[in-house]
Order: sequence, then structure tokens, then C-alpha cells
Amino acid sequence: MNIIETQNLSKSYAEFHAVSGISLHIPKGSVYGFLGPNGAGKSTTMKLFLGLTQPTGGTFTVDGMQYPENRIPILKQIGSFIESPAFYGNLSGEENLDIIRKLLGLPKSAAAEALELVGLTSVRKRLAKKYSLGMKQRLGLAEALIGKPPILILDEPTNGLDPVGIHEIRELIRSLPQKWGCTVFVSSHLLTEIERMADIVGILNHGHLLFEGTLEQLKSTAIKKGYPTDNLEDTFLALVDADNRQSERGCMQ
Amino acid sequence: MNFLSLVSIEFKKIRRSKILLIFFVSSVILWLPSVLNAHLNFEMQAEGISPEHNFMIQGFMGMAWFMFPASMVVGTVLLSQTEITNRGIQKMLTLPISTAKLCMAKFVVLTTLAAVQILIMTGMYYISAAICQRMLDYPFLLSPLFIAKEIGMLFLSSIPMLAVFWMLSALIQTPIFSVGIGLASIVPSVFINNTKLWYCYPISYPFFVITSEYGKLAEHIDTAQVSLFPWIPVALFLTVAAVGISCRYFGHAERK
Amino acid sequence: MTFLLECKKAKRIGFYPALIGSSILAAAIPILNIIIRGEIDVTASKSPLQGLLGANWQLMTMLNILFIAASASLLYHTEYADNAMQKLYTLPIHEGSVFYGKTLFISVMSLLTLTVEFSALAFCSYYWYTPENSFILELCQNFGYSLLLLLPCVVLALLISEFCQSMWMSLGICVVCVFIATMLPTDQFLLSLFPFALPFQMLDTAQTVPYLCAACTELLILIVTEKIAVKIRRSIS
Repeated sequence: MNIIETQNLSKSYAEFHAVSGISLHIPKGSVYGFLGPNGAGKSTTMKLFLGLTQPTGGTFTVDGMQYPENRIPILKQIGSFIESPAFYGNLSGEENLDIIRKLLGLPKSAAAEALELVGLTSVRKRLAKKYSLGMKQRLGLAEALIGKPPILILDEPTNGLDPVGIHEIRELIRSLPQKWGCTVFVSSHLLTEIERMADIVGILNHGHLLFEGTLEQLKSTAIKKGYPTDNLEDTFLALVDADNRQSERGCMQ
Repeated sequence: MNFLSLVSIEFKKIRRSKILLIFFVSSVILWLPSVLNAHLNFEMQAEGISPEHNFMIQGFMGMAWFMFPASMVVGTVLLSQTEITNRGIQKMLTLPISTAKLCMAKFVVLTTLAAVQILIMTGMYYISAAICQRMLDYPFLLSPLFIAKEIGMLFLSSIPMLAVFWMLSALIQTPIFSVGIGLASIVPSVFINNTKLWYCYPISYPFFVITSEYGKLAEHIDTAQVSLFPWIPVALFLTVAAVGISCRYFGHAERK
Repeated sequence: MTFLLECKKAKRIGFYPALIGSSILAAAIPILNIIIRGEIDVTASKSPLQGLLGANWQLMTMLNILFIAASASLLYHTEYADNAMQKLYTLPIHEGSVFYGKTLFISVMSLLTLTVEFSALAFCSYYWYTPENSFILELCQNFGYSLLLLLPCVVLALLISEFCQSMWMSLGICVVCVFIATMLPTDQFLLSLFPFALPFQMLDTAQTVPYLCAACTELLILIVTEKIAVKIRRSIS
């Protein structure tokens, strides 16, 4: 069963098509890796699910609920982290989480649990503006994880983290479907990251969905098309390159 | 989520902002010259106003003309910049709360800031009046009931003005426009208060109300008096419209 | 060069439309004042220009200093908002060049605002009154005097904004300064020397030289203060 589904979802800004008619199928309880070069439309797609930007075409459902009619019930299901951490610099890490905890109507222990989960307990009293880049990133993640939401939308969650931090967060994301039974929709341009985390991948380029399926399916598709399959990076580059050449030809014609 | 909890969260967001310090400093600056020139209040008896009333009303007029509305423009900047600086607003918009409710909670915070400024100002008035009383051996202190009536009127008349400032802040994303229009709108208040259509301009309400009180207290000074009609219906309409527009467009730019 | 860079940095933040809006609004004051209240009696004044300034200069100056306060806060806000300031400090440029660049920028913009405002005053003088032959000279003298008296206010507003990273804080302090200026009596020399109160002064032959000297001294003091403050900030940060 798919927890998030889109039908020809599009978002255009004047002449620019950020997302062009994509149809995604994100199964419940999976880690869905959303791959694409910078500017492919990954963040825009995620923002569409959160109502941070309005679609110019197509529809989507989250847990069977249609947007925009069910904006609030949809948002109740989702914990999110988009682009870069969002917080109040004049408040401590703990106070920031407390605000979100109260708004979500969660018990007091939820903030402490989220801080513990991302390893910020020791610096919880420090003002968020004084956090290091990695700490801010962890705070952003804690804001997404608080209350164990059934759906997690994470946009480049390991940006700014050191190798140990990247490993920790990757393991955490990987374990969440088993731990909480949640679905994770995670974007990254770090292919090895996605390879190690995701059950299913979606590859986006210039707003078009080039591929959607398991890593095995990706491999067999690549073999059929004659693309390299030694590692995900080569396959990804070949797919994107072919799409770029095709769009260039389209433009010239 | 209950509205009061939302308001308390909004208060939490402006912790450590030092806005109260600005209110306090402005109140000290306002009353200091009044204390230093307290003897001049006796000269105003010729205008039919008692020194203690003159002392009080001159201070409140000074506040209502510029500092009070300008501080409220600063208050709107504080509320909007707190959200924008580290993208807190984006996080808020991804949470399951109604944006209109969020906007209303912020407006309540703004009105509370207005009330706090008036109270700080009143506190400073009592301190200043007490100092003058000792200095000049004349009863400058006025009855708390009278002062409560004056500041109550000042606060109520400021709500439409606050609604307009809040609407500007919600509608206009470029800070210099919302701030610029807000501050520039204070300047013509003196002009507009002298016209018959003063009630169409909410920014001038607090100053108009206090000036008309001055006219009541000073026998020989004629100032325009508040007539409840058409002021109250117009003020109500403008307040509801401004708050409604704010709620409709709050967070709009972040959700385009 | 820093001036041109400041011109570029002020693009798309609403500065230029705000400049135009504020200039037009301030210039409209004398015209609207005559249209609404009827011709101002200038017989008691030395000239129509002095009469017009007497009737309108307080409000026009109020708008000017509010514009300066808001622009100074905004210009530094754009530097701090996305860490551009930090980048500038890492570049091999003189530490004060950003401050001087902004001072020059707002001063030139104030010059433009005053040009629009004095054009409006000239229009009123010619349209409703009969100015004397020496009018242009008188206009230029008043213009230069007002511009010079505005400069300490520009420098102080920028100094406040440079040391307040949050926009509302710098704006708040500037607004308090404007408030102090409105509270101070304009006829008391020492009190009227407060940088935000200085622009309210009009050209008066008896006090011209002392005010000009005071404005120059204030400029010097404020620039030295900025240098010292930057040094202190660097040593404690």
C-alpha cells in the first residue's frame, strides 16, 4: 500500500518547470530515496507535500487524504526537514523543541526523546544561534523526529555533518521503519547514502521522474539500456546524461 | 490546539528580545524632561488646567503622538523577523496548525506588547509624579481610577492602529516597505486629526483620544472631541478588515 | 568603488522604491499644506522660502530622519541576514570601508531626497508667492545647510545599525533617538545638537556658524567612535 501517491504532479514558475508531471508511489514502511542533481526539483516536490508551495498541475494523496482539502490532517502525519534547519536563534535547542512539542500536543518527554535521538542532550540549554552547523542540522532533524510521526520527509538530512554524524543519522533513518513503523522519504545527491539507506529510489532530473523502483530493478533497467551497473553512481550519471542529451535534442528541434 | 497555548508559545518565541528595555528607555526619556520642567506646569493654569493634570496629559500626549505608534511598528518587525531570520515560519507552516490562528496569536502578542508599553509608561508616570510632588511640595499624583480610565481609552483606541500595522507586516514582505509605510503613516497624524475625517485614519486614534482628553481637562483650550458615531462603527470595520486580511495573507509568501 | 558596490547591494531590497516614495511624500507636504489649508502667510518671514520652511520643515525632517533610520537598519540587516558581513570581514579590505561606503551611499541618497524636497519648495515659492531675485542663492544655501546638518544623523543611525545584528533592535534604538529628537526644544542650542535633532534646524544667520561647526565636530566624533568601537569589538570577539 502506498502512503504517498502523486498523479502528474507539476510545479511551474513562469517559464520554468520545477516539477513536470511526476507520478510517485511511496510504499508504507519503506525508506524511499529521492535522487537527483542540484536543481532537479527534489526540494520543490517535498515542499508540495507540505503545502509550502502550491502545485500548478496534478494531484497527490498522503495516507489516502487529498491535498489541499486535508492540509491539517496531512501535516499531522508528517515530520519534516526541508533544505536547511529552521529554528528560533534566540531560544535554546530545548526551547525550540518545546515549542513544536506544544504545537503538536505531545507529552513533555517527547522533546527530551528527540534530543536524545539526535545526540543533542548535552547542549540542549545552549542558544540555537550558537550551535555549530552540525548541531543546527541535528536540531532540524530532532524537530522532524519529535512525536514519532508516521511519515518523515527529509531533504538532504546529512548536509553539514561529519562522517561519524553521517553514519549515525544514516543508521537512525535506516532503523526507523522497523522501530516506529514509519515511512521515510529522503532526498540526497550523495548516491552512496541513498544506496545504503533506501529500499526504493526515485530519480529526478529537470523536474522529470526518470526512474522509480528498487535498486535491483534499477540495475536491470540499466542493463537493458546498456548503462554501466558497477555502482549506483555510474548508473545514475548515465541516466541523467542520457536525459540531458535528450532534452538538448528536444530544444534544438 | 487551544488558542491560549498558541499565544503563550508566541510569547516564548520573543524571549530574550529586549523589547521591554526599549519600552523602558523610551518611558524614562519621556518623563525625564517632564520632571526637570515640572515647574512649568503651574504656568499652564492660565489655560484652565491644573498642574497635576497638565503634567500627566502632556506626557501621555508625547507618548501617543510618536513613541507609542513607532514602538508598535518596531514590535511588528520583532514578530516578523523572529520568524524569518532562521526560517522558523517555514517550520510553523509544516505543522498541523491553522495559519489564521497563528496570525491571530501573533496579533494578540502585539496588542499585549502595546498594553505592556502603556503600563510601563504609567508606572514611570507615577514615579515621576511622586518625584515632582516631593520636589515642589504639590500633589501631582492623580487618582489611580482616573489614570486607569485614561490608559484604558488609550489602549482600546490603539487596537485599530495595531491591526493596520499588523496587516502591513503580513501583507508586505519587504521589511523597508512595511516599516517605512508604518513609520511614515505616523507623521501626518497631526494633520489628519485636524480634519473632519480623522476617524478614517486608525493610526491617529490614540493621539486623537488623548488630545481630546486634554481639551476636556483644559477649560480654555478647544480640541476636537470624540464622537462615538461614526467613529466606533468605522473603527470596528477597519479593525475586522485589517485583521481578516492579515489572517488571509499571513505566511502567503512562504507558501507560493 | 565601495559606493558603487553599496548601490548594487541595495538592489531588490526595496530601498530605491522606498527612497522615491519617501522623497515624494516629503515633497508633497508643502504643496498639500497650501492646497488643504490655503496660502501660508509669509509676510512675517524674511522670505517666502523661510515662511514655507517654517510651516513644513518639521514634518519634512521627521520623514527624512525616519527614512535614514529605516535605511540604515535595512542596509546592515541585509549584511547580517545571510552572513555576508562575515564574508566581508574575511576579505582583504579595510574594516571600516563597509561603514564609509554605506555612509557615503545614504548621504548621496539623502542629497537626492533633499533635491526633490527643495524643488517642491521652489515650486511652491514660484507658484504661490513672488520670490526675490536672490531666491536661487537662498535656496542653495538652505539646501547645503540642511544636507550638512543631516550627515551626523546618517552616521549615528549607521553606527547603531552596525552594532545591532537584529533589524528590529537597530530600528528600535533609532526610533528612540527620533523620539528624543522630537522631545528636545529646537531653540536650546546645546540640546538641539543631538544628531537626530540637528536636521530640524533651519538656516538662521545668527546661529548658522555654530551649528555648522557643531555638525562637523559631531561627524568627526562619530567617525572616531566608530573606529574605536570596531577595535573594541575585534578585541573582545
